[in-house]
Amino acid sequence: MKKLLLVSLCFLMLCITQVFAQNRTVTGTVTAKEDGLPIPGVTVKVKGTTNGTQTNTAGKYSLSVPAGATLSFSFIGYGTQDHTPTGATENVVLSLSSNQLGEVVVTGALGIKKAEREVGYATTLITGSSADQAKPIDPINGLTGKVAGLVIQQTATGVDPSVRINLRGNRSLLGNNQALIVLDGSPVPTAILSNLNPDDIESFNVLNGSGAAALYGSQASNGAIVVTTKRGTAGGKPIITYNNSLQLEQVANFPQLQNGFGQYGGEGSPYVNPLTAQPLHVPYENQEYGPAFDGSIVPIGVPANSPDGPQLTAPYAAASKLPVKAFFVTGVTEQNDVSFRQGDANNYFGISARNVNVTGTTPDDKSMTTNARVSGGKTYGIFKVDFTANYTKNTINQVGALPDGSDLYINLLQFPANLNIKNFQDVNNPTSFASENNYFSAYSWNPYWAIENSRNVVSRDQFQGNLNLTLSPTKWMDIAYRVSDNFGVYRAKDTRAEIDWSPYALTIPEGPLGGVNEAYFNPTVKGVVSDFIGYGDGTGGLINTTGNTPNFNGDQGLSRLEGTATINFHHTFFNDFKTNLLLGNDIFSENGNYTYDNSNSLLVGNYYNINAIGGSPTLQQANAVIRQVAYFADAQITYKGWATLEGTLRNDRDSRLPAANQSFYYPSVKAVFIPTDAIPGLKNNNVLDYWKIYADLSRVGQISAPPYSSNSYNVTTGFPYGSLGALTVNSTYYPPNLKPEIISETEFGTELGLFKDRLHLSADYYYQKSRNQTLDVTVSPSTGYTNTLINAGEVDSYGGEFSAQAIVIPKGPNTVGWTVGGNFAINDSKVVSLLPGVSQLQISQEDNINNGNIGGVFAVVGKSYPQLEVTDYNRDPKGNVIVNGANGVPTVNPNLVDEGRTTPKYSLGLNSQVSYKFVTLNVVADYRAGNVVYNEIGSAMDFSGSSASSAAAGRQIFVYPGSVVNTGTSAAPVYTPNTTPVFKGGWEYWSTTPVNVGSPYVTSAAFWEIREVSLAFNLNQFVKNTKFIKGLTFALTGRNLFLFLPKSEQWGDPELSDVASGGNGINAIGAITTNQLPSPRIYGADLQVTF
Amino acid sequence: MKKITLIIAAISAIGLSGCKKYLDQSVNPNSPSVTTLPFSLTGTESIMAAIPNGLAQITPTNSYVQYGYWMGVWAVSSGFIVQPNLSQYVTNTNDFQVWTDLYLNLSNINSMQQLAVAQKSPNYQAIAMIMKAYDFQQLVDNYNDVPYSQAFNTSNLFPAYDKGPAIYADLLKQLDAAIALINSSSSAAVPAGDDVIFGGNMTGWKKFANSLKLRIIMRQSNLAGFSALTAEMATTLSEGFLDGTLEADAQPGYTLNDAHGGQESPFWLAYGTNQNGNAENILVKANTFEINMLHGFNDPRLTALYTTVQEPEGTANAGATVVRGLYLGDPQLSQDTNAAGSLSAIGPGLLKSASMPAVVFSGYESLFLQAEAAVDGIIPGGTGAAKGYYEAAITASFIATGAEYQVPGSSPAAYYTPLESAPMYYNQNKANVGWNASTGNLEQAIITQKYIALNGYSLFEIYNDWRRTGYPLNVPRSLDEAAIGTNIPVRLYYPQIEFNTNGKNVAAEGTIDPFSSRVFWDTNTGSDASAH
Repeated sequence: MKKLLLVSLCFLMLCITQVFAQNRTVTGTVTAKEDGLPIPGVTVKVKGTTNGTQTNTAGKYSLSVPAGATLSFSFIGYGTQDHTPTGATENVVLSLSSNQLGEVVVTGALGIKKAEREVGYATTLITGSSADQAKPIDPINGLTGKVAGLVIQQTATGVDPSVRINLRGNRSLLGNNQALIVLDGSPVPTAILSNLNPDDIESFNVLNGSGAAALYGSQASNGAIVVTTKRGTAGGKPIITYNNSLQLEQVANFPQLQNGFGQYGGEGSPYVNPLTAQPLHVPYENQEYGPAFDGSIVPIGVPANSPDGPQLTAPYAAASKLPVKAFFVTGVTEQNDVSFRQGDANNYFGISARNVNVTGTTPDDKSMTTNARVSGGKTYGIFKVDFTANYTKNTINQVGALPDGSDLYINLLQFPANLNIKNFQDVNNPTSFASENNYFSAYSWNPYWAIENSRNVVSRDQFQGNLNLTLSPTKWMDIAYRVSDNFGVYRAKDTRAEIDWSPYALTIPEGPLGGVNEAYFNPTVKGVVSDFIGYGDGTGGLINTTGNTPNFNGDQGLSRLEGTATINFHHTFFNDFKTNLLLGNDIFSENGNYTYDNSNSLLVGNYYNINAIGGSPTLQQANAVIRQVAYFADAQITYKGWATLEGTLRNDRDSRLPAANQSFYYPSVKAVFIPTDAIPGLKNNNVLDYWKIYADLSRVGQISAPPYSSNSYNVTTGFPYGSLGALTVNSTYYPPNLKPEIISETEFGTELGLFKDRLHLSADYYYQKSRNQTLDVTVSPSTGYTNTLINAGEVDSYGGEFSAQAIVIPKGPNTVGWTVGGNFAINDSKVVSLLPGVSQLQISQEDNINNGNIGGVFAVVGKSYPQLEVTDYNRDPKGNVIVNGANGVPTVNPNLVDEGRTTPKYSLGLNSQVSYKFVTLNVVADYRAGNVVYNEIGSAMDFSGSSASSAAAGRQIFVYPGSVVNTGTSAAPVYTPNTTPVFKGGWEYWSTTPVNVGSPYVTSAAFWEIREVSLAFNLNQFVKNTKFIKGLTFALTGRNLFLFLPKSEQWGDPELSDVASGGNGINAIGAITTNQLPSPRIYGADLQVTF
Repeated sequence: MKKITLIIAAISAIGLSGCKKYLDQSVNPNSPSVTTLPFSLTGTESIMAAIPNGLAQITPTNSYVQYGYWMGVWAVSSGFIVQPNLSQYVTNTNDFQVWTDLYLNLSNINSMQQLAVAQKSPNYQAIAMIMKAYDFQQLVDNYNDVPYSQAFNTSNLFPAYDKGPAIYADLLKQLDAAIALINSSSSAAVPAGDDVIFGGNMTGWKKFANSLKLRIIMRQSNLAGFSALTAEMATTLSEGFLDGTLEADAQPGYTLNDAHGGQESPFWLAYGTNQNGNAENILVKANTFEINMLHGFNDPRLTALYTTVQEPEGTANAGATVVRGLYLGDPQLSQDTNAAGSLSAIGPGLLKSASMPAVVFSGYESLFLQAEAAVDGIIPGGTGAAKGYYEAAITASFIATGAEYQVPGSSPAAYYTPLESAPMYYNQNKANVGWNASTGNLEQAIITQKYIALNGYSLFEIYNDWRRTGYPLNVPRSLDEAAIGTNIPVRLYYPQIEFNTNGKNVAAEGTIDPFSSRVFWDTNTGSDASAH
């Protein structure tokens, strides 16, 4: 690695001292015919040579031209024009192309650029600027709703957000299903992209299918997002850009809370009115099943500090603002970035830096990200070199868990609606009501205690860079070698302060947690420290705190050093046959290791060092290496530009597979036909400008086996005792013949350009068969193991993707322009088989508030994957809930019931852009549907009585809606409508019956969301006469502004659907757990100045 | 395409030799791929010792603790969390299951046996056979029919179940074979410090095997072929049994340290306090049934088996030092919390220290077995020898618990030693205490005294004796109003993991009713074992 850095530095020096050779210089401005505005980025080339440049942001170019030469002006979406300049100035007006689709240059696998008309698979190009229009911090968020079949899901919010990126649904049962990210030609972990400055990105090419990415072999199964970063600018003059964006973040999308009832939790006598049998207010409760608010003054908790101490009181009436809301603050994100770019036809250099400072919606949560990036390139005759290097530092400081391991949010949801939570902030004052010894609740924690005393501090350092060397000895051959590397260091420290319960707190049963909760029975709860240090991709994803087997989420977590050598032959025979042959070799090595230590026995309460503990620390250390050697070939022949046939073949040898099975072949073949060019009758047609049809057959793989899939021994629990060691057989069995998963894909598609390119349509259909899955299945312990890896299971997935983009009103210099677009995708799947004789496989387990298992995510033979199955009430054949005739309470079916799939079947994105003069309004909306989600928080809120649902019947008895009773026998049931109300309408029913069942909290995960709104002002024309400033834009932006949910979803944003406790951490979405805060709404302003 | 293939083939050929090494991952840097006999022996012994002492990774709480609750040894203080599975006899396919822990340890023992065969180490091989018998007997006693002949074969993911009697018969053969193997291998290598039970004393292993044989045989006392097993016992009688001078205890070096999953002695780890002084299992309280029994027997082990507390204020003898318990599911004491400390917990005779050895097969259990076997004629000597075994067993229990009588009238209090106290105890003219006072029903006396001696470390054997003999009489049922029926379960359900992973074979065992589906040696026909 050091070597690479040195090489990069050398090139940096070269680029800075570059000399621009000049000849006769022609300058000019390129403008658009439609609106008369200058077009930046137009490629200007001396025809027949490689000599060329690009226009700057003001549409200006300057190029050295031999006398009599012809200049060719080309730009994506515009017709190419040739001009032979007569003087020193040549201004050009370009008009929108009537055949622009076919001209687009697409970057495919391995960074190979191709004309769109030669591409035989579904792909979407998104420019960096259109993804950045609402100024996301994570560039991936800028793609949401913009690509058919691409589902980007924000699974965690706050100061350390995370996303899932999925193309075409899930195909691997237990393996990785997230899209491969390819940055400047090299696969990188998603985290590298997430931390990239969005302004550094030139374009995203989304390759939906595995066929498109087939050249990546065993990494290609999930499609790919090919990201190309900006290089220097053309034109010789430096461009400096400064951008400032300020965003405010507010927690939105709260679960629906009740604000009519106060504290009571089933205490019974003496907290029950002996006459009415109605509950009375219980001062120390965390549950809110008490009497309705009546405005009186009630005691809260027990006297502080001593039996004669001060007694907290509060009005027994709803606080003006729900306490949960009052707890959160407005988060502020400030983003500053500066870039310098310079270059000409042969050389370029760019450097950029960004700083993002975030304060979260949870008090005291904060994060900071700093990026620095440099790129450059130089051509010496037949030799060309270019490089990029990127460094990111990311620090996060956020609240940790409470001493019982619970999350802040769940404690927050046990806060009575009549108290003001802000009165409990003074936690470190031992005599205050906020102190742990005086906190009113006997069963839940003061959320501010965690904020003050339990912290999770993370730092991530990530480097990513690559170096490309290209030799073009003849016109028909390029030899290239690329070396790329990414690595990172992850460090984290979790700390939690000691609690010393006061003697008073320990002796009163109604006191704070110390008095009643068995786990906190002891006078002291010792402080905790954990250190996580991981080398890899910088995410720390590898770190397994419970063992020495690294966690593998796909390939994430590891550093990667990769070398790719290619020879590319390209020649056009007989003027009509354009051929291309690429041969290559790719070798990569991924590495990672970690050290973790932990102790729950700090010697000094708040001195957080693993050396200062009682007893021995928990220590974990492990290493991982993945290596792969691959050979590949790609042959393509295009006839007259309208018929293309391409074949690829890749051979992978992967270290994760047993030696005998290491080598695998992955072929693909693609065909493209352009009828509008091939059939004379379709040419120069006023309606149909462009029509492409394509088909693609491919086979790719995925290796889901972890490294070292061989049988091994672990140190026996408890050992070593002194020098006495012991070993135990690893409880997972690795058979000696594991193979990779194989995904075969068939894809057909078409693209149309209509009405002089005013309307673009595209559609595709795909069918994927995924077999030989690597399943880690539970087996009977009598086999000697609890789990075994096995190659079994077959999943078919299929669907279609459609998109349309229309220029409704073309923009003119003084008229309104309007473009709209939409994309829609259907994805469905079917589990064809699992193990012989096994009809379902559990992927994850979901719990209720009582840590009871209510089901989970499964793969079920004959159904789509993944599928949510939970416990439900007993139902009659019509689906009505069967209640117990004696007490009106629904009866529970202990068997799991299928609730539906957890990934969206339908996803729809809509975008609209209206522009007038220098103002542009962009709106992006998206819709997802066809899936369900289990809201664990619903169970928590019904238990605590904070949910609106628990108060829907006013805490009165009610007849369960639509219920029936069995008036027959169990053998011959007769179902008649139920008229018996539930025996109690308060604590007795709500905190015992629904909370232990899964189905009451399963809702449709459908939603509509206004994802992005930006109102941009391009103020270039107002500053064009100033000396220093070349460009100025200002924008108002909003993200996730409005969320529309079905009525049943009263627990928050279903997009947060993620893995719950236990099970496979990468595929099991379908549940929202209690540690996921409500999703936020973000709005801000952005100013960009170009010098 | 052909050309491409050729070129690829050529490049592959060049790169292949180096490639193989580059891609080799046969060495796992995180966990060793090989073990040794000593490492396997130490690991399997420590887990074998941990399971009956309450430590297994099972829900809802420690292994076999439910038998302590159900047998009137302990009771659950219900002041904290409702534990219906304990106080209401609610068993299910998840709670109380020891299946996985036993099979995984057996898998380790099995692989040690295979390694010993491969390395021609007959003493290790014999030890493995003895340990397998110890764990497999627990499986049969918990579940009756279990996979045995088809177990531990990774090419068969769905092992069929063997019948309990067949497994028992084979275990006896295995034990005979193990003893024979040791006798014929005197020159072979023996373990040393890696044997944390006998330290390589092969005589100890033979006595352990022989005691295990006796346990397996005595378990069948109600079956038709019982007396025929006399011949089986006779074949190895000369090897002797564990007794007050030699018992099977594991001691790898237990210490008070929570590291590595807990280094405390397993019983201490399950019921004692951790390194921070925090109690591990404060739900466990003394049961009034056994307290009353010990009071009735004037048994000084009372304050060894249970802690003493002060009578709470408002009661008749407020402030007095007593052993105070409750019945299982007692609603009157449901509000009692540990804070007041008004209920007795596990006593100092059991919770001796975090570094105490873990009892695998106690000398007093072996002596009680010999006493019963002598009475039944399985071993020679008749009731005369039986009396000696019986009294030696009680003496061993007194020594183990440190039980002492106070010297009458001594002030400050002086105590007789446990060795002196034991005869004072068993010479009492009390039925089920003194041998001569119990001649009407020697089995009842033996099992009743065994019940007291096995408190804590051998809860499963207490339950097995109760299912087999019905002693001690009148084990109280839960007072929990919601207790299902009135019965104490007579077996466990098969675990959920079998239904998930080996469904056809477990289904072939038919529907299990924990209140009536008895294991094969439990010949009681009523729904309540204590009724006879």
